[in-house]
Amino acid sequence: MASESGATAVVLDPKSDMQSSVPKLGANSSLSEEGLELNDGTGEGEESVQPNVDQGVAVPAGPARPADDEILLQENSIKAEEAGKMEFIGDKEPLSALAAEYERGNEVFKAKIQKLGETYGSIRRTRGDGNCFFRGFMFAYLERLLHSQDKTELPRMRDRIERCKQELIAIGYTPFTFEDFLEIFMDQLESVLPEEGQPISLSELEVRCRDPNVSNWAVMFFRFVTSAEVQRRAEFFEPFILGLTNLDVKKFCQTSVEPMGEESDHVHITALTDALGIPVRIVYLDRSGGASDDALEINHHDFVPESAPESFKPDTSGLLTLLYRPGHYDILYSL
Amino acid sequence: MASRSRLFKEFKEVQRDKKDTDIVLFPDESNIYRWTAYIKGPAETPYDGGTFQLSINVPENYPLTPPVVRCNTKIFHPNVHFKTGEICLDILKTAWSPAWTLQSVCRAVIALLSHPEPDSPLNCDCGNLLRAGDLRGYKSMARMYTKLAASQVKPPSI
Repeated sequence: MASESGATAVVLDPKSDMQSSVPKLGANSSLSEEGLELNDGTGEGEESVQPNVDQGVAVPAGPARPADDEILLQENSIKAEEAGKMEFIGDKEPLSALAAEYERGNEVFKAKIQKLGETYGSIRRTRGDGNCFFRGFMFAYLERLLHSQDKTELPRMRDRIERCKQELIAIGYTPFTFEDFLEIFMDQLESVLPEEGQPISLSELEVRCRDPNVSNWAVMFFRFVTSAEVQRRAEFFEPFILGLTNLDVKKFCQTSVEPMGEESDHVHITALTDALGIPVRIVYLDRSGGASDDALEINHHDFVPESAPESFKPDTSGLLTLLYRPGHYDILYSL
Repeated sequence: MASRSRLFKEFKEVQRDKKDTDIVLFPDESNIYRWTAYIKGPAETPYDGGTFQLSINVPENYPLTPPVVRCNTKIFHPNVHFKTGEICLDILKTAWSPAWTLQSVCRAVIALLSHPEPDSPLNCDCGNLLRAGDLRGYKSMARMYTKLAASQVKPPSI
């Protein structure tokens, strides 16, 4: 069971630690009047910890700390506001849209975007909600298959997902906790590569990947796949995880892979691409190098699992490509 | 709706698997989104001998978002709000994932009773006792409230 690690009470993740402790600093001083009433009957010992409570004077009046569900509610309303600005998956735009973002920006970025234009023609943005790697990867993958109609991918993926399922069960996950997510993703794959009849249209794929009831569930599928792979090869991933955080493998998966909104790093990408046998190229848009440098290089890194089918490999048109800018992934399309 | 079918699966699982005798967990008769749990205070803690009632409210997009859990039984613990019963537990907030179930959340709350986290207190007085190393003070307070508020709590026979 995911739950049995027991250490669940411990907030190890520095980020969540901040969030859970900060709002509480002004928290109530807990022994309120109710505490006193109860004490009256029983008498002893408590005085030492009681602030000098004199009906209403004891607790300094301050703004009441919002309850956690209120905080969550507020977070959700902020998210909803963000959602109004940017879909989970945007429209395909010419690369010039990216250039426009940096019009008055850093020279290195401008030079690099120009250089990027020699290889890539379009970009599709994703919402920066911490799920952008998984969502971008999902959309790029499904869109690729929609175009290629490579029917060998369906049985291959089914097989992969079955393996992942067995792995999760072997680690101790209860099947009903992840099955629904796997199913929703398979539904999308089958709509893109139908065994009979017509595939869905690209705009239908966009609609689905923008619908939280589909998109978030499919993202969660990728998180489960990633978590299963990291845990299956715990020995391999452990040093990388220790380098990133101070968490053990299990705790890392629980706090940095499985929760929605947790950002992806090399560990996640390696695990996901290995587990599914789908390569991905990450192109880095950063400030390294100088703008006037003739030999300005745009770095990229290919994640190529050994088991990848030929059709997805680098040097084919099937290679999925994501553009990385610190903290965010968008989808890139070759010219 | 996906959350409903997931909750029914959890309901079936809870009914099937009764080996965890420290937890009695059941949904409202007319509303699968509202659950009640009774958890036993763990042995070798000042909560031993007490039974604590939790109310669990499940949001519509569960299990993508966590349930809201409150402790209805008065308890003296650094991570439970003394007045509202709000529980400070990472998995109920940022570290939530659908891999958790209502049952495993209850187990996590029991684990929290055994392992108080005085550095992120909701009950500052309790947290201060622990941080000051006054284990004896903490234990006697916690035991007293267990005796006063939690020793008579009994789950309905279901």
